[in-house]
Amino acid sequence: MSNKNSNVWIGDKDLTRDESFIAISEQEFADSSLLETLGNEEVAESAQGNRRDFLKFLGFGLGAATIAAGCDIPVKRALPYVVKPEEIIPGVANYYASTFVNGSDFAPILVKTREARPIKIEGNAELGQGGTSARAQASVLDLYDTNRFKAPLNNTADGFQASSWEDLDKAVVAKLAGASNIRILTNTIMSPTTQAAVDAFVAKYPSTKVVTHDAVSYSGILDANEADFGDRSIPGYHFDKADVIVAFNADFLGTWVSPTEFNQQYAVGRQVKDVTNPKISKHIQVESGMSLTGSNADNRILVKPSAMGEAIAYLYGKLAGGSASSKGLTARAKKALDKTAATLSAAKGKSLVISGSNNPAEQMLINGINNALGNYGSTIDFGSAYLNRAGNDTDVAKLVSDMKSGSIDALIVMGANPVYSHAAKATFADAMSKVATKISLAYVNDETTALCDMVAPVHHALESWGDVQARRGSITMVQPTIHPLFNTRQKEASLMAWAGSTSTDMYETMQSVWKNTAFPLQSKYASFSSFWNASLHDGGVNLGGSSAASYSGNASAAMSSISKSASSELEISFFEPVSVGNGQYSANPWLQEMPDPVTRTSWGNYLAVPVSFDGHNKMLGMNGLEDGDMVELTVGGKTVTVPVIKQFGQMPGTVSLALGYGRTVSGAAGLNIGVDINDCVTVDNGYSQYYNNSASISGKVGTEEEYSCVQYHHTYGVTTLKDGEEINADEEALGMAYGLSGYQGALTDRSVIYHSRVDDLKDNLDNLHHKREHAQHLNDQQYYGGFDEAYEMGHHWGMHVDLNACTGCGACTVACMAENNIPVVGKKEVSRHHEMTWLRIDRYYYGDIENPRAVYQPMMCQHCDNAPCENVCPVNATNHSSEGLNQMTYNRCIGTRYCANNCPYKVRRFNWLDYTNADLFPANQPAFTDNDDSTPYGADNLTRMVLNPDVTVRSRGVIEKCSFCVQRIQEGKLTAKTEGRQLKDGDVKSACMTVCPTGAITFGDQNDKNSLLAQKLANPLNYIALEEINVRSSVNYTMKVNNHDEKLDA
Amino acid sequence: MIHNHLKMKSLIAIIGLFFAFNLTAQVDAKVGKTLFRNYCAQCHDKTMKKDMTGPMLAGAQERWGDDEALYSWIRNSQAMIKAGHPRAVELFNTWKPTIMTAYPDLTDDEIGSLLAYVNGVADGTFGPPPAVAAVGADASSGEESSNSMWYWLLFALLAGLALILLRVIGNLDQLTAEKEGRPYQRKSLLESITSSGLVSILIFALVLLAGYTTVNNAMNLGRQQNYEPDQPIAFSHATHAGLNKIDCQYCHDGARRSKHAVIPATNTCMNCHAAIKVGSQHGTAELSKVYASAGWDPNSGKYIEGYDEMSQEDIKAIFTKWITDNYKEEKEVETLDESDVKEIEGQWDNIFTSLTNEQKKKVQGPIEWTRVHNLPDHVYFNHSQHVTAGKIECQTCHGAVEEMDVLKQDAPLSMGWCINCHRQTEVQFNENDYYKDYAKYHEEIQSGERDKVTVADIGGLECQKCHY
Repeated sequence: MSNKNSNVWIGDKDLTRDESFIAISEQEFADSSLLETLGNEEVAESAQGNRRDFLKFLGFGLGAATIAAGCDIPVKRALPYVVKPEEIIPGVANYYASTFVNGSDFAPILVKTREARPIKIEGNAELGQGGTSARAQASVLDLYDTNRFKAPLNNTADGFQASSWEDLDKAVVAKLAGASNIRILTNTIMSPTTQAAVDAFVAKYPSTKVVTHDAVSYSGILDANEADFGDRSIPGYHFDKADVIVAFNADFLGTWVSPTEFNQQYAVGRQVKDVTNPKISKHIQVESGMSLTGSNADNRILVKPSAMGEAIAYLYGKLAGGSASSKGLTARAKKALDKTAATLSAAKGKSLVISGSNNPAEQMLINGINNALGNYGSTIDFGSAYLNRAGNDTDVAKLVSDMKSGSIDALIVMGANPVYSHAAKATFADAMSKVATKISLAYVNDETTALCDMVAPVHHALESWGDVQARRGSITMVQPTIHPLFNTRQKEASLMAWAGSTSTDMYETMQSVWKNTAFPLQSKYASFSSFWNASLHDGGVNLGGSSAASYSGNASAAMSSISKSASSELEISFFEPVSVGNGQYSANPWLQEMPDPVTRTSWGNYLAVPVSFDGHNKMLGMNGLEDGDMVELTVGGKTVTVPVIKQFGQMPGTVSLALGYGRTVSGAAGLNIGVDINDCVTVDNGYSQYYNNSASISGKVGTEEEYSCVQYHHTYGVTTLKDGEEINADEEALGMAYGLSGYQGALTDRSVIYHSRVDDLKDNLDNLHHKREHAQHLNDQQYYGGFDEAYEMGHHWGMHVDLNACTGCGACTVACMAENNIPVVGKKEVSRHHEMTWLRIDRYYYGDIENPRAVYQPMMCQHCDNAPCENVCPVNATNHSSEGLNQMTYNRCIGTRYCANNCPYKVRRFNWLDYTNADLFPANQPAFTDNDDSTPYGADNLTRMVLNPDVTVRSRGVIEKCSFCVQRIQEGKLTAKTEGRQLKDGDVKSACMTVCPTGAITFGDQNDKNSLLAQKLANPLNYIALEEINVRSSVNYTMKVNNHDEKLDA
Repeated sequence: MIHNHLKMKSLIAIIGLFFAFNLTAQVDAKVGKTLFRNYCAQCHDKTMKKDMTGPMLAGAQERWGDDEALYSWIRNSQAMIKAGHPRAVELFNTWKPTIMTAYPDLTDDEIGSLLAYVNGVADGTFGPPPAVAAVGADASSGEESSNSMWYWLLFALLAGLALILLRVIGNLDQLTAEKEGRPYQRKSLLESITSSGLVSILIFALVLLAGYTTVNNAMNLGRQQNYEPDQPIAFSHATHAGLNKIDCQYCHDGARRSKHAVIPATNTCMNCHAAIKVGSQHGTAELSKVYASAGWDPNSGKYIEGYDEMSQEDIKAIFTKWITDNYKEEKEVETLDESDVKEIEGQWDNIFTSLTNEQKKKVQGPIEWTRVHNLPDHVYFNHSQHVTAGKIECQTCHGAVEEMDVLKQDAPLSMGWCINCHRQTEVQFNENDYYKDYAKYHEEIQSGERDKVTVADIGGLECQKCHY
């Protein structure tokens, strides 16, 4: 094995041909005994069988069968409406335009409701790009969260006691009337209506001040922009217009500011439009740990967290002159930054430099760089600035000191959870105890709410009226899609009630706000009611924003205020994970189960440690650590025990760990999952800096029992080595006997991933086409020549996945779970390879071993027209349809799992236990965490309300897999039939296609020659995974094209 | 002689049959029932024992005495009144201003049938007709028994043959033994029957039979053809769909556009029953349930304000008043005796129990119907696919609902039954533009190669058309 850069690998165990890994990858299912699959070890261990027990069970079984046969069929009831609402037709979905909003995250959405019950979120293509994030997808599950507050509460010595709104309001008003210094602590208020309610409250209680705290602070960039532009907001970015993108530790594809929009823009620039003259944007990421954005970058420049400011200053110096200390930068990094500066200079006005730093000085330097490059007005504009972050670290610090001094006598907490997410959380909690009256407007219990005296529970966004102005010039609406499930009240209504407003009806309030704000700004509609109705129908209104902000900063002056690089042995960076945020989403089982795109870990945070190549055949983890080892991590004075994951591309001398875990007060799914590290965040000059330069880790102190990383599960793209050399195993076995070469089904040289530098595209394409021709030639020699004529008429469903558009964000995996009733299996089951996701995103590394790039491959059932799974089913439970679908019939499946073993793509999933909670035997129902109060997922009727009624809930003992959203296919066909017309392109879209923000997934009818799919299928970059094994897959992928610059690596 | 005897027999049989047929053609209470429902039931009580809009019909024939006059009264009462027939005039004076509709087209036979039905119901000899299914079941079991009789005969014949053959083999064995000079002990019949060979064959046959029966019965587990549960309201499809010819989809409005046909909301009932306040069959007893569910006061003809929060006593007062008023009107009494009060109380109790259950303690709110047609959860069925796209009649699957007083599941709703229909039924191939995608079939039809396209031809037998 050499340090070559053309190989593709899935992880270090693949690279080094680890024996345990080979053993696992040879089996479809991880080795676990039958008894172990009972789910409960105690039960399993005590389950000793003997002849008598066998007879008992036999007798019981026969008896039960007899009784069951003799029983009456249960009588089923049907309850019609008394007065049927006109718009509801039972069995037909309604869609309402609304907005997903949670803290700073937002997305214009369409809410799919069935029988007045929201079950799925879709993007609103009229207002946004149509795509949504995993978080938006998962928000519908929060609505049916069993941990929600169900009534107003008083916090007493005996815990929360239910109260009534009348009593609560009376108590609150009495307390507030006597208060002389009130604070409202909130997360960013994006809603004009919420702002109006706050204003009404402030008018009634003039001593009130509003303090804004975001879960992850953006104070630095906001304050820098205020200083440089007089505009405390984050400007709108145009990644699609930038030829060169340089990001300093900003995970703009994962979490930074507005990742869904950025994903869409980014993918535009990454498309090869013309293969004869290929051009794509260049993306350079400067970071220490491998972020989702970094893994997509063409080049990564490794800079340790404390030297990030120096890197920015260095680049600024190269572009605009001036110099500062650069002692924290490696010679290699400096060289790379020199080249970066040259590349940027060549793309003036068509480049974009951003930073995720929370240091205002560093952000001012970034502003200076962009100004020097002439990017303002072209790739950056304040007209459509983001208003979704307004948190102010200084204000929060002031609040803490005020509370400590006892001058605050009432605190109203609204959405913010500083006792978890603030760096000085212990101080905050301590200071809070000095406040006489603490009221929380919360949805579920959290660390801050637990310290409050009274709780005024709030609606879910899907139960509320509201609006969101996330960007200047566009307001989207939030409308209720379900009657409030519990005795809750909108936070605005609570504030208004306490302010003594006569009307707390949110519909009226919102109308009056809109009448005075948005309505006068438009000219399209003459009457307010037509304006209102149109906005409500569309989901919002685009008023067009403008800004007179112009750059007037002095970046050179900021040079001296950048963070100082440290010379410690180990630095740790903290990052917001794509899934659970900084704890805002940690109680959501869908997001907990969704693997992190890069580390591919779920249910917990894993310390990413660097790996190094020993020059022979080993990838050594730092301190000799292996995946799943537990270590003691000491940051500052705090020591926590965390599991480790070896991370390619992690800078030596640094480690990184996700925030958002280790919640101590939260819903069951997030409680005590992973470790909390928020209090290790460095506070520099009042600003939270998401790294710490005094970290150390011990050696291995144990092994994580439930190591829930899915990277080595269900792998198929692996190579085979013999004596350290890659071999073609089948040729080896058969070639000797028959003298064959290029034998089909070879385990090496598999077509799984193809990649090319954009400059070498021509050669690589020739190579790809040659390979495909060879594979097709071999396929034509086979007995199975294909039955293409069988699919000539009607429909022949197919899919195209553009790997150049896919950034690996994971939205499709959650959308698939929501659409297809895929169960959450929990940490332990994930650790046993039992995750049930129909759609997984395989992560492959390629390029330099120590600093690789990644390619993400969404992998779902390929609906092979010559499917190996179909031939081996003894009961014909999986078979082929005339429309090219590989059909899985659950009620026929007897669970032999032959199909899964025979699937070359490893996309079939087996219901080992009763994940959907339909069984009578508790041992069959896994709880998703080890917490005592953790119930099995879906054990209650509330959670089950999220189920899609058009998709069967699978029971224990059957195989399941991607169906190409057959329920949507059937619905689309039926609509065409009832309307008496042919099926149009776009009538049927799979759930993964509609959710994808970059349009990477295209689903359609291969027989429709004018469809979007047909256009995509004509892409010369296309290939079919494992084309050489003649399974005739219906899914095409594209060759990954990157713009890697070797000079930057030198 | 034998020949002649047979001839005589068949002749008698034919004559007998002819008579039987002729008789039923003349006067048939069953025909009378249909006529009664179509023409009379709007005004005359169907138990024949109460006055309604028109007088009770029990004993009408005796009261008239003269069949000819009665027949002409039924055909055209107005003419008789004008002609001054004394009984006609007397009746007119009793019941005016109500007059009886004229039915000049009724034949003597039809009126005879009608009267036979009226008398039959009145004296209890014509009970409620046995359920159609029972008749059907009887008929089929009759057929089966005659079939199985043949099987038994065949079996006996074969068994006899087997015995004879055994005997022959025995004889032959004996002969050879004698020829070879071996001693031969003939097996007794008992020994033959209990021989291990025969016993094993029998056991094998029994196991086969048991297996076959078990599988057959197991397949029928969970199926409920002919399921005819009691409903909280004695709603009659025969009255609504049959007699009054209300379109199925007027109430089941989901059938054309949704997967569910939909049990109509109570306010759909109110579209008509705000006007029709007393039922033809049950008077106030059943319709009051609809009003109690919807919160409509039949006394004032208005919806009740704040009905959801109303106490059960107040609701009871409203409906007891309504029932009492109707009862008095019907009975033509001013004051009620103890038994009357008891009956009214009983009617309210029935309303209350029909609209409440263990969870739902109050009468307000939805009516809890019993689902008749149940499919397992792993089956996807869509009504609009069949009704709108496939243009299938409701009766194809649901049977003659318009004749059912109590709704009954007509079809087995088994997978075999679905599949059979998909094999046989043609799709709207030329009518619906959707099928333009199936170009090859269109060509084949043009060239005459193919005469039809069934559901199966376009993939209607594939698993994932119904299971996903």
